[in-house]
Amino acid sequence: MSVRLLFRSLVIQGSWNYRTMQGAGLGFSLIPYLSRLYRGKRDALNASLGRHSGFFNANPYLSTVAISAVARMESEESDPEEIERFKQALVSPLGSLGDRLIWARWRPLCSLLGLLLFGLGAPWWVASGVFVVVYNALPLWLRLWGLRQGWQRGRDVARALLASPLRRLPDRLTIPLAVIAGALLPPLALALGGASSAGPILVIGVALAFVVLGCWRPALAGRLAAIGLLVGSLVFVVLENTVW
Amino acid sequence: MALLGGVLGLDTVSCVQAMVSRPIVAAPIAGYLLGDPAAGMSAGVVLELISLNQLPIGANRGWDTAPASIAAAAVAALSSGGAVTLVVAVGFGVLVGWVGGWTVHLMRHAIARLVAAGESQRPIAASVLSARHLSAMAIDFARAAVLTLVALLLGAPLASGFEFSGAAAAVAATMLVLICVGLALGSDMRMMAKGRTVVMAFTVGLLVSAVLSLWLV
Repeated sequence: MSVRLLFRSLVIQGSWNYRTMQGAGLGFSLIPYLSRLYRGKRDALNASLGRHSGFFNANPYLSTVAISAVARMESEESDPEEIERFKQALVSPLGSLGDRLIWARWRPLCSLLGLLLFGLGAPWWVASGVFVVVYNALPLWLRLWGLRQGWQRGRDVARALLASPLRRLPDRLTIPLAVIAGALLPPLALALGGASSAGPILVIGVALAFVVLGCWRPALAGRLAAIGLLVGSLVFVVLENTVW
Repeated sequence: MALLGGVLGLDTVSCVQAMVSRPIVAAPIAGYLLGDPAAGMSAGVVLELISLNQLPIGANRGWDTAPASIAAAAVAALSSGGAVTLVVAVGFGVLVGWVGGWTVHLMRHAIARLVAAGESQRPIAASVLSARHLSAMAIDFARAAVLTLVALLLGAPLASGFEFSGAAAAVAATMLVLICVGLALGSDMRMMAKGRTVVMAFTVGLLVSAVLSLWLV
């Protein structure tokens, strides 16, 4: 059964929307377990699925914590209102812990690692492959860990989250992230700009100067980079047809 | 390619999230299928850097990276090559990514009407819930596939209709890429980490790498 819960958790965001967010996905993930639990009690099953298809949201990789904990509470015939309160109480910690760890640290770290490999001359499939394999190791472990913790601890799973080393992991990934970002700049600048007539030191210097500017106003710099490439491409297309 | 766009589009949010929809993966795969994975990878590297600081948290609406990556890789792989081509390819990818972000926004409103219609927490049959959930995934697949197809139809003349050339244009394009990559990396760094220790770690990595890179050059 836990394998089916795990596989269904992979598509928990399949019907993500602005009203119930992952709600329908949570209900969908619980269908195999609840169908077995409420065998022959169609009304009870439908009522339970209706309750679990309301609002819910969490980091997708940690959603297994909620899925298995809710399954455990349903099996213990807990009060539906208590289960609902429990679910809503999990939204914030599962979101903040997972988002801070995965989106703000792990994914950038793995991306920069892949980009560094490319900058150092690795074939594209090595850079892409290392990114995919290294990145997915942590989410897969999180899904399995969450499934086990949620089922073993049920309504006390919040204690497992508080005590887990996952809370400190984002801080520990900060330094490696910064080192790889620094190490990435020279080879990437040379790979993208090395063919020009500008010397390698100038190429690295230009990129570094704009890294510093990007750090100064990050939100503006991110937009400027995208807009710069968009406008630049339009200018080149127009000039190609009129001048060159 | 449109099917690839649909499948990779599902990976962005709806299914698994193994990150094969990221430009660093999607663009070289598209380039490989079109015969030039290196060109796809170059476009993917720039797109990856400028989309790295977009965090898919809650209702945050970011780029649709899968169709954007495939569109950029297609223009890069089917063009004559060089820095100007890279700028045009990535610029086109940015445009497709933004349009894709809006289609995701509209789709999420449509899915809200599909799966959350009527009274909240009303009893629902398993078959109905499954059908609604899977329909939402099918809509996402179709959205990404159609967007990729339209992008390729628009991008094909862009890629094959021009022969970008000229030394001055190449230098200008290279500098533009370097500037945008620098801005993007700085933005990524600051969004994710800050503090004196971070600056020191960045500097150490930079210095070691710069010495090794310049020595190898």
